[in-house]
Amino acid sequence: MAAAERGASRPTGDNRTSRRRRPPPLTLSAHFRLRGVGDYFRGQSARTWCEVEAGWGGERTIVRDAGLEAGARNPEADGGMGEFKVHRVRFFNYVPVGIRCVAYNHQSNRLAVSRVDGTVEIYNLAANSFQEKFFPGHEGRATEALCWAKGQRLFSAGLNGDIIEYDLEKMSVKYSVDGFGGPIWSMAADPSGSYLAIGCEDGSVKLFQVSPDKIQLERTLERQKGRILSLSWHPSGTHIAVGSIDYIAVLDAKSGSTTQKMLMDKRHPGSQRRRCVVWGVAFLSDGTVVSTDSAGMVQFWDSETGTLVQTHPLTSSDVLSIAVAEKEDSLVVGTAEGTIFHFQLIPSRSDGKQSQWVRTKPFQHHTHDVRSVAHSPTALISGGVDAHLVIRPLMEKVEVKNYDAALRKITFPHRRLISCAKKMQLLLFQFPQRLELWRLGATDAAGKNEDILPLSRNAEHLLQLKKKGPENICCSCISPCGSWIAYSTASRFYLYRMNYENNSVSIKRVSKLPKFLSSAFQILFSGDSAMLYVASNQGSLHVIQLLEGSLKHLHTFQPQSGTSEAISLLAVSPDGNWLAAAGMSSGVSIYNLKHLKPHCMVPAYNFPVTALAIAPNTNNLVIAHSDQQVFEFSIPQKQYTDWSRKVQKHGLHYLWLERDTPITHITFHPKRPTHILLHDTYMFCIIDKSMPLPDDKTPLFNQLSLREASENVRRRHAHAFKISKKFQPLLFMDLLDEGTLVAVERPLEDIIAQLPPPIKRKKFGT
Amino acid sequence: MVNLRPRRSCRTLPVRLVVDQGGDEEDSERESSEEERQDVEFPDGDPVAEPMADENEDEVEDDEAPEEVTFASAQAEAKEDERRLRDALRRDKELLKEKRKRREELFTEQKKRKLLPATILEELTTAPQTKVNESSSELKKGNVENENKEKKEEKMFPKRVKKRYMACRLKDQDLIDLRQQAAKGFLQKYLYGRGSNRTTVNKFLSLNNKRLLVKKPAVQFVNNSWGMERKQNAKKFKKQWMHKKKLASRRPNII
Repeated sequence: MAAAERGASRPTGDNRTSRRRRPPPLTLSAHFRLRGVGDYFRGQSARTWCEVEAGWGGERTIVRDAGLEAGARNPEADGGMGEFKVHRVRFFNYVPVGIRCVAYNHQSNRLAVSRVDGTVEIYNLAANSFQEKFFPGHEGRATEALCWAKGQRLFSAGLNGDIIEYDLEKMSVKYSVDGFGGPIWSMAADPSGSYLAIGCEDGSVKLFQVSPDKIQLERTLERQKGRILSLSWHPSGTHIAVGSIDYIAVLDAKSGSTTQKMLMDKRHPGSQRRRCVVWGVAFLSDGTVVSTDSAGMVQFWDSETGTLVQTHPLTSSDVLSIAVAEKEDSLVVGTAEGTIFHFQLIPSRSDGKQSQWVRTKPFQHHTHDVRSVAHSPTALISGGVDAHLVIRPLMEKVEVKNYDAALRKITFPHRRLISCAKKMQLLLFQFPQRLELWRLGATDAAGKNEDILPLSRNAEHLLQLKKKGPENICCSCISPCGSWIAYSTASRFYLYRMNYENNSVSIKRVSKLPKFLSSAFQILFSGDSAMLYVASNQGSLHVIQLLEGSLKHLHTFQPQSGTSEAISLLAVSPDGNWLAAAGMSSGVSIYNLKHLKPHCMVPAYNFPVTALAIAPNTNNLVIAHSDQQVFEFSIPQKQYTDWSRKVQKHGLHYLWLERDTPITHITFHPKRPTHILLHDTYMFCIIDKSMPLPDDKTPLFNQLSLREASENVRRRHAHAFKISKKFQPLLFMDLLDEGTLVAVERPLEDIIAQLPPPIKRKKFGT
Repeated sequence: MVNLRPRRSCRTLPVRLVVDQGGDEEDSERESSEEERQDVEFPDGDPVAEPMADENEDEVEDDEAPEEVTFASAQAEAKEDERRLRDALRRDKELLKEKRKRREELFTEQKKRKLLPATILEELTTAPQTKVNESSSELKKGNVENENKEKKEEKMFPKRVKKRYMACRLKDQDLIDLRQQAAKGFLQKYLYGRGSNRTTVNKFLSLNNKRLLVKKPAVQFVNNSWGMERKQNAKKFKKQWMHKKKLASRRPNII
């Protein structure tokens, strides 16, 4: 606890695993140990252990506050956070889907990540690795390969045999072309980006020409015996190396014939493993083919002579993926045990004429198989079955050794998956394939700080709504009164009317929807549940009035900036007069709903918006960006507020700016207009605009120590950012009413429990 | 040891048998002719009784001189035998033909019953630009099963025909899924199959516990939400077992 406040360089129990020194290898025990500091879960005493027991898997209500001395009547005067009853919710059974493919684009510094259920996400590595674009998955797609082609075009291929191109502007699937070879196992774009080669189940390698609006099958190369599991182009674009079961072949791209075939050695007798599967190949410009196989070996072959030059036995399990840097002096491989190994080309003679590939560094950041790796100029990127996306900057490649050179681990979503109906105390959980509606429990008891209150009524699972059709759910929302539920897939929109009467719930689908309501990126209900705002993927915003049993289309706002950019976030003012919409790369536009016309645009900022909210009464728009900047914009006056200018001039605390996870939700206190509540995955914060701002020398996380301090000390040291790290990892936090908070947590252990089985590891002494 | 009986040529056998057994039993003539027919068709598979009979007759005839038979009578008899043979064969063939015909008729009748009534088929073929959806195959099945459903679908069909449908073969769908399934099976087998060294999550997390200074219990004991299905199954089994015991104890013990 004290360590956290000192701003110490030790890991403080959140995603920041290193500040100024290299982090220890992150095993699971370390993870739990980190969170033990000041954390009630991994308590050191038996008493706290028992408390945790009672609470696991269910919902507890505890009383917590910070900075409030017993007997003080007015919490705000003391600078405390206030007293709240907190509903700690652990029954959101969120399991992130495993990562299957990772593809790095050098020109735009973006990372495309494809998951097992067909979801494709685009991360902007320059904007603090924020997930800016998202394509929902499809049941039929089992993506096995992802690649970028010329002109920032993204293609994916999977076991259903189709090559799919994604439209990154319109955020939809452009088209899908059948590969005519059965399930496609691998795909690679040639160095110029104008050809795509796919490796199919039947052993054929097909070349597709990438033309401006589609791709066309150009040629089929010589058919091989087994399924083509991996594929790599030579940097000159003349040859292709393919890896199959028990052999590697080198094909000539022009003529299609096999120039070389390298057979893998049979495994030594006595092992019961099956044939040797070549999971990854890479073709270097000097003619070396690097292969990774299921025997756990990384082998370097000479493609001219077809001989084995070097072999590195890494593990006894499979080595599943390989990626080479652009400069070809380093490569990274990922294994099934969760380890990634870094190989470097080290000159072996002093004059640098001869060089050799040497295995330099192992990194253990995953617990399960690492299915895909990528190599950016300065970092190693890996993703696997445990759904962590790990970006490990290489120290020797990073120029400025600041916080950007720290390990980044992205596990939890950067979007909000939970909506809350405050009056009815309902929570709507969005899963990729269903929606769940829960009612929070209630308690009659009262208690003092940090008590766990017994529930008089347990949380209830009211409704499970399964999706219709093969497409996954893209976005969902519940109205504040709880009587409307809306969700959208990539092609259809669904709206349901709910009825709660004497302990039973009934649901009825609104079937006659207008035609333009086909698919939505964001759905939002107004505060009085009378209006529905839908952001379609063409950039237009529809305003629809909800009447009993029918809909009335009031207006459609076309995109202001002229480009048809998809809208990523919506916010409506509580009085229903203003609507703010944030585009994916364009700025925030504000619309006047009373007169149904555009009002203004917030000045552009070069980092994407992560959260948006409009305060009641003052109608100030609070915007959080992915570089952890927070702005406040006054809508009636069309300019930034004074407080926001003060914050910008003063600058935010460096610890605030060094947080890894984006702010996903902003909310306000109905009775305290100077308070802004926001949260990210590892903390939640109440910003008090009336208090002084902290500067870099004062500790940022000082709430816990201030609580015990005397009145004078508190008055001197209290500042505007009151942060609590008690609830971690937070998926959602909201203020239900004046004295009640709801915090939806998802412990990492519960996620690990539902993942596929990992490889058995042997540890000395166990 | 196998006693190989002397083999008689096919030609001589029928004549001798007819001569021997002809006068005695006229009823059994057909039988014998059948026998001899059998013998002709399957000369090797001769029934056990026959050689014995022949042997007996052989012993009887050895003492006497062979009878004199004129060429003409023998020829006539042989011709008659052949004719009878041919007749029998023809009769058999006709019988089989009839059977086959009857089966064909039965099949066509069943097929007709399976198809949709002619009126609906006409509508489908005449309506312009109609494409039948794959779900219509289910419709067809429904039609065959219930007469009631047929009427319903008849009413529904006029509406459906006007909409646009797309025809695709069910066989193709199966093919695609099969290949995808085979591919997924390959992945599963090689990554999680027999030779892969996989372990459970509980064991995996316990590995860290074992090296700690203060040993902690395994996560499956600490975390109550793990193993929910097994606990529920155990609860159900317990209830059933108690119920069974109760019933058993209610039944009176009869000694």
